[in-house]
Amino acid sequence: MYQKINRLIIPEMKVSEMILENPYFMLMLEHFGIGLVVHEKTVEQICHENSISKGVFLTFANLFNGYDSLTSDVPAIADVPMIIRYLKTSHHYYLDEKLPKIRHYFRRMNELNDHPEMLLSEKFFKEYCKEITEHLNYENDLVYPYILDIQSYLDGGRDESFVKTYSAMDYREHHNDIEEKLTDLKNLLIKYLPQKEDQQVRRKLLFSLFELEYDLNIHSQIEDKILVPLVELMERNLESGR
Amino acid sequence: MRAPDVQIVMIEPSRIISQGLVSMIGESGRSYHIVRAADFIELQQLVARNPVDVVVLNPGLLQSDSKSFQLLRNEHPGIKWIGVVYSFFDQPVLAQFDGIISINDLPHAIINTIDHVLQMARGQVEESEQESLSDRETDVLKLLVTGLANKEIADKLNISPHTVITHRKNISQKTGIKSVSGLTIYAVVKGLISIEHFSV
Repeated sequence: MYQKINRLIIPEMKVSEMILENPYFMLMLEHFGIGLVVHEKTVEQICHENSISKGVFLTFANLFNGYDSLTSDVPAIADVPMIIRYLKTSHHYYLDEKLPKIRHYFRRMNELNDHPEMLLSEKFFKEYCKEITEHLNYENDLVYPYILDIQSYLDGGRDESFVKTYSAMDYREHHNDIEEKLTDLKNLLIKYLPQKEDQQVRRKLLFSLFELEYDLNIHSQIEDKILVPLVELMERNLESGR
Repeated sequence: MRAPDVQIVMIEPSRIISQGLVSMIGESGRSYHIVRAADFIELQQLVARNPVDVVVLNPGLLQSDSKSFQLLRNEHPGIKWIGVVYSFFDQPVLAQFDGIISINDLPHAIINTIDHVLQMARGQVEESEQESLSDRETDVLKLLVTGLANKEIADKLNISPHTVITHRKNISQKTGIKSVSGLTIYAVVKGLISIEHFSV
């Protein structure tokens, strides 16, 4: 029987083993800017070679495997730029690769299946794309620059003229129903939308939705559980520093 | 292959015990999501943010703060409670748990205990999942997809807004669809509304 085992990731583990056990790690490596060919290297070696904080790598990796707050080496304020770099790279993956691919599948489905409901579903996905694009751009253009500004201020790199009326809470609340709509789409495709000669495309479409969902889920966990608390901490430091 | 659905919170002051449990559960192949909490206050915060399925708890905490426990239990009847027992506790204390993990349990017994309480929790949900929409739920759905707000639906059907919300929850649980635009597509597929209503 094919049984899935999600192990706790530790520094001594080989990165190749991680990928073989949970292929979604391919995306994690990519978001960290690490190439796919990892030879026989361990987590520790890969982190060292790519100048990635071991704490951040392990924390993210364990989120991918379904564990959280288990590393003693928790991400710190100094890790914030790296976390943001990771998140921005994944935005790039969603916007430039994954969403266009899914859109392509929807178009194909519509060519093969002329049920009018399919058109509605394509429209649903287009609206979803618009929402998620707005959300990601909002983070790229406003949230991340703001966080990096506080960071460099705390490092003594700049004056406080940048401080706007903005808090990490706004940021968290902006995280809305992005995952909810993906679930809706999966349910529609699996349970309700009538099938025609679209089996292969429907399957590819669904797999793409699952892939997007998995990565997005970790993405928002990273933001909510790791980045937001760090930003709140930075904001408190900012307040007390004045 | 998606992210784990089962959320477990562990409140166990002993690092050895909690780390041991986490790695045993990790080795079991179940992709349970485990978070640690220090006390009931932290648990309350976690529950407010995300749904929690199981709480694994040192019974000592229940003894010292049974009020918080009762409060949480009443507010969140869906959560199942498992006690981790490695010292003596009175039977009335242990009886309040849905399952007990003993320090001498082998890994598979521990997993069985967790699986068992999860099945208890699911048993209640699945019954309603298998039913199709009731007439009243269908009425609510039809009005909902025309863009009416809860209050407006309540007025039209002569029911309270609170009842509308309950119907909506049941609709989403049965269909697996939460957004209004998703439910609209469902309603078209089921022939509840006509597609001509929409400009595609």
